[in-house]
Amino acid sequence: MITIDKLQKKFGDRVVLSDISVTFEKGKVVSLIGPSGGGKSTLLRCVNGLETFDAGSITVDDLKLEPGDAKKNKHALLAIRQRVGMVFQQWNLFSHRTALGNVMEAPVHVKGVSPAQATERAKALLDRVGLSHRMGAYPHEMSGGEQQRVAIARALAMDPEALLLDEPTSALDPERVGEVLDVLRKLAKEGQTMLVVTHEMRFAREASHRTLVLHGGAIIEDGPPEQVMDHPTHERTRAFLGKG
Amino acid sequence: MGLAACMAVAAIAVQSCGGNGSGAPGRDAGAAAPSGARRPDGSLARVRAAGVLRWGGDVQGGAPYVYDDPDHPGQNKGFEVDLAIALARELGVRAEFVQNDWSALVPSLERNTFDVILNGFEVTRPRVGRVRFSPPYYVFAARLMARRDDARIRADVNSLRGMRIGTLTNSFSEEVLKGHAEIVGYEGTEEPYADCVAGRTDGVLLDDIIATIYGVPKPELRVVGDLADGFYAIAGRPADEDLGVALDAALARIIASGELERILKRENIYNDRQLGLRTWSADDQRRMLGLSPAAPGQTGALGGPPPGAAGVSSTAPHRMTLGQVWMFIQGAGITLLLSILAMGLAVPLGLALAVSRLYGPKFVARLADLYVEFYRGTPVLLQLYVLYYGLASIIRLDAVTAAVLGLGMNYAAYEAEVYRAGIQAVPKGQLEAALSLGMTTPLALRRVVLPQAFRLALPSVTNDFIALLKDSSLVSVITVVELTKRMTIVAVDTRSYVVPGLLCAFLYFAMSYPLSILAKRLEERLARS
Ligand SMILES: Nc1ncnc2c1ncn2[C@@H]1O[C@H](COP(=O)(O)OP(=O)(O)OP(=O)(O)O)[C@@H](O)[C@H]1O
Ligand SMILES: [Mg+2]
Repeated sequence: MITIDKLQKKFGDRVVLSDISVTFEKGKVVSLIGPSGGGKSTLLRCVNGLETFDAGSITVDDLKLEPGDAKKNKHALLAIRQRVGMVFQQWNLFSHRTALGNVMEAPVHVKGVSPAQATERAKALLDRVGLSHRMGAYPHEMSGGEQQRVAIARALAMDPEALLLDEPTSALDPERVGEVLDVLRKLAKEGQTMLVVTHEMRFAREASHRTLVLHGGAIIEDGPPEQVMDHPTHERTRAFLGKG
Repeated sequence: MGLAACMAVAAIAVQSCGGNGSGAPGRDAGAAAPSGARRPDGSLARVRAAGVLRWGGDVQGGAPYVYDDPDHPGQNKGFEVDLAIALARELGVRAEFVQNDWSALVPSLERNTFDVILNGFEVTRPRVGRVRFSPPYYVFAARLMARRDDARIRADVNSLRGMRIGTLTNSFSEEVLKGHAEIVGYEGTEEPYADCVAGRTDGVLLDDIIATIYGVPKPELRVVGDLADGFYAIAGRPADEDLGVALDAALARIIASGELERILKRENIYNDRQLGLRTWSADDQRRMLGLSPAAPGQTGALGGPPPGAAGVSSTAPHRMTLGQVWMFIQGAGITLLLSILAMGLAVPLGLALAVSRLYGPKFVARLADLYVEFYRGTPVLLQLYVLYYGLASIIRLDAVTAAVLGLGMNYAAYEAEVYRAGIQAVPKGQLEAALSLGMTTPLALRRVVLPQAFRLALPSVTNDFIALLKDSSLVSVITVVELTKRMTIVAVDTRSYVVPGLLCAFLYFAMSYPLSILAKRLEERLARS
């Protein structure tokens, strides 16, 4: 459902993504791994239109993003963002809204869902991520793990066809990582399409159908997680996985 | 405790700028006192020793009083310059002009900035209580002007009831009008006539010299007639009786010799009214100063009935009446209302400017930049002036509207900066999260960024409101009578700044202190979250 074709992205003169072509299928969980600075976040942000790119194209269903500024792609961009949700490393919960308010915000103001309906749905989603008891809490009153689970519920509230997650557990205290991964495993089982940037190799191995290794702005490995992790073809991958 | 300290500071400030009008010795203010019964006070000796008579005035008053000589830039000219030179010569010293804001001439005199005031300084009842007046050197008429097409106005003060008449604040003409018309007080001489032409007032009552220069040239206006005679005299400190007596004598010689007549004729302001100066008697002086009980049917030289109970010396400071206290509270109400309305304009306008600068198209952002730079880079006083007087021929705003617009548009520039800082303090991730959910940029700003930015900015906005509360006193230049203006008016009536000043300070404080507590609370709450 998401097709990236010959994507190129530069920051100034530095090429950060070079000639990336890849397709993500519906219902599949893809883990994106690779060394720091490899371009993982940038790739995710391009798909969501938070970054513009310099060449190639990104297609989500029938919607196409092309190189150039956001204005040109405005229509496609808004439509794609409603179909593709994003979960950030730093959660980015709206700090002036409660957990419930965060989850309701977009359905009510973007989709025009009635507040009563949105509230019902938000409660159900918060229950699904195990936070029905924290609905009235403000972000600064919640732990990182709780906030990240609210952020996942917030993204799910838009019924996205795909979910982009950029290191959803990296900023968490170690004892909080599990609760977020549990939620993601559950989503994976339910068939939610996800593209997860992660350093949690066990999670990637257990929960994803496919693993990509991004290095120096290029995909150097693409296959089932066991294959990529146990029999990497690229020496860089071996170095990264510590199997030198 | 904070309140007590603040009031103490206010009291000191008021004392030092208002001077002490009641405790000074020599309170026989100006009436030709029997000099033999008095010990020399050294004031004349001091001037002689310094070899210079320093006289205060404001060149802004313009021709023919004291003004910049167009032929010799940097030099002063005017009939009072010539008079000062003649007076100094009679004392055997040099004359030295000291420039001083006209409205602060008395406090400056009391602070020894100069020896005498000599600048179209009219003899008025409140002034008699604070300075020592010489016999007059000029007799003027309080001249009434009105629009040519306005037949309602006659040369009779009783015909002015219910009409808005412009005049200079604290002037002789204002005293004449008191109790007879709705007085619109100005600080300058051009504005009252301009406002009458514009229809903001029904008439103008001012000295004939001023009327001739500023009113008569306006084709829309006509001279209605003269309502009363008034006097320009030399004003000195009551304590400087020696100097006063010497100047009185010098002036008498200058008048007797015909020199004053020549000086006045040079500026074309000599007329038959001046004939009485040659025969000026001690009785005339007493009558001018309003010290003798008025004869039946005679209103005295100062026009209007004398204030206060009969027999009370007009030099005694008056208590503030309950009515005046009430006027103060009304003044405070106007100050508060102006501030709230102006802030009500500044907040949304500032928000629009901040958003335009940060997210608008280049052209709009540039315009918003210009707006902010312009309004922050020029004095708000000037902006008020341009808005009210400068644009009067294009849009005729009433004074309160102009005040609200002027202050509001000025403060919008500051609010814009406050919001910009607030918006930039909202983490970038907030906007990205909103966009990633499919919000458009305007929606994301409205729902996510601005509410947070506003919360961050709220303490600064509250502080700006406190500043606005005080800045609103500037609108007195466009005839709005708010708290500070009320204070200066009452101070002149009561002859002392102490009580009105304290009351004024207290009222400002009573309005701003709760706000600053609020600002502190908001800051604390912000720091916690
Ligand atoms: N806004 C930016 N301006 C300039 N360079 C950038 C910007 N964002 C990222 N980069 C650079 O682009 C490259 C790819 O960054 P990216 O954040 O996509 O890497 P990553 O694979 O997500 O790394 P990490 O694992 O550390 O998150 C890096 O070299 C980074 O320094
Ligand atoms: Mg990253």
